[in-house]
Amino acid sequence: MNYGKRIFLWIVLFWIGSAQVFAEPFVQGGPIGSQTSDGYDALGPVVEQPIEFPHNTHAGRMQINCMYCHTYARRSNVSGIPRLDKCMGCHNLIEGVKDRPRIKKLFEYWENKQPIPWKKVHDLPDFVRFNHERHIQRFYFQEKRPVREVCGYCHGDIASMTTARRVKALSMGWCVSCHQKDHLEKAGSTVTSHGPNDCWLCHK
Amino acid sequence: MSLSNLIQNWNSFRTRRPYEGQYDDAPYKWAMVIDLDSCIGCNACTVACYAENNLPVVGKERFGKGQAMHWIRIERYWGEGDTMTSEFPDHGAQYLPMLCQQCEAAPCEPVCPVGATHHSPDGLNTQVYNRCVGSRYCSANCPYKVRYFNWWNYPDRAWPNPLELQLNPDVTVRSKGVMEKCTFCMQRLRAGMDKAKTEGRILADGEVLTACAQACPTSAITFGNLADKKSKVARMWKNQQVDLAKDSQEKSEEGIRGYRILEELNTYPSIVYLERVRNLEA
Repeated sequence: MNYGKRIFLWIVLFWIGSAQVFAEPFVQGGPIGSQTSDGYDALGPVVEQPIEFPHNTHAGRMQINCMYCHTYARRSNVSGIPRLDKCMGCHNLIEGVKDRPRIKKLFEYWENKQPIPWKKVHDLPDFVRFNHERHIQRFYFQEKRPVREVCGYCHGDIASMTTARRVKALSMGWCVSCHQKDHLEKAGSTVTSHGPNDCWLCHK
Repeated sequence: MSLSNLIQNWNSFRTRRPYEGQYDDAPYKWAMVIDLDSCIGCNACTVACYAENNLPVVGKERFGKGQAMHWIRIERYWGEGDTMTSEFPDHGAQYLPMLCQQCEAAPCEPVCPVGATHHSPDGLNTQVYNRCVGSRYCSANCPYKVRYFNWWNYPDRAWPNPLELQLNPDVTVRSKGVMEKCTFCMQRLRAGMDKAKTEGRILADGEVLTACAQACPTSAITFGNLADKKSKVARMWKNQQVDLAKDSQEKSEEGIRGYRILEELNTYPSIVYLERVRNLEA
């Protein structure tokens, strides 16, 4: 092999190697179908919901706290999908939008006494335990960070979407990357600590 | 990482022992006491474990081949003194519930080629199913034989519809090719510990029980937090003069019944058994 060829080979090898090493662990909101280095979709699939629920109106324009509807997030493993009567509690009284097609659909479900078959967007593998309560208690109640930021760590900026879509990798490496960071213990304090790293905390 | 570093790390891993005051600052160290004098061998603990931890029922044939998946089993021993030759040999039967001893220096841990089993901060010997590659080395190295291997894909057949609805959602349903073992009902402990942490306290004694301890009709199984000196389990360990960090226990007087199984192997188990008391002359 002559000298020039060898140099060329090394350059190619280095380029491939560096692309692997320095690649972002995931691309937040990357193009559809793009994959993270660990094989996850950077952006989750579009999930067709029975009603195209506008998060941007509720959480964005109306500034409703996420936990008004996802009420179990602060006291349970799962955040919970609101029951139909949670929707009706407000929409019964909002006369101005009752003629909109999405609201008409909502009332249809209500009159047929049918629950809305919402579909899961952020679905973790069955062998993983994720506790909403601990994260919300720590960052929202203890550190008093804004709710859109706290939920956004894992869910992205839902308040700018209509129906939710997964924008974070939700892979183990991605979870650990945050657990290894130093977080402030309390708002305003200088003491930091990182998240727990025991296997059985998340694996069950 | 240099080679000497690697060897040093490996050695420290292999020679790890519990030491005096190891859990003094830790919030939790889970431990158990099993009173063999109270155990009537009814198998309620085993049934409770099957229900709680999604254990498959393997059937008679596979049971005979030693492929049963019971994380806690009742071992039966015959003959104590002269009872075998007496008129009622059944009186000599004695039972010993055997489950993972959650050893502090667990023989299964250093041999795992992929690090699927390790020691948790609360002193439990963990098993991460989706990391396990099924080498079965841990089971070979376990002196208590309490690790169970999934030889078959039980989710396919062990819970025909609608039985899958009884599965516990907080516990993984294990598939073919992974090792599994008693977890001290980690899902219950984790739920309790998370709740307690939100409320800014540690778990109170008896707040969380393992399924076996909860189901035991004679309260032969006591479960609790050894790091909490006032817990029932810690007081029993102290009364029985068993020390977590010692490999042989010196008793101040005769008749103290507490012992740990195969302690001479330096496994430092987290379960104390109380010897059975029988008056054979009567």
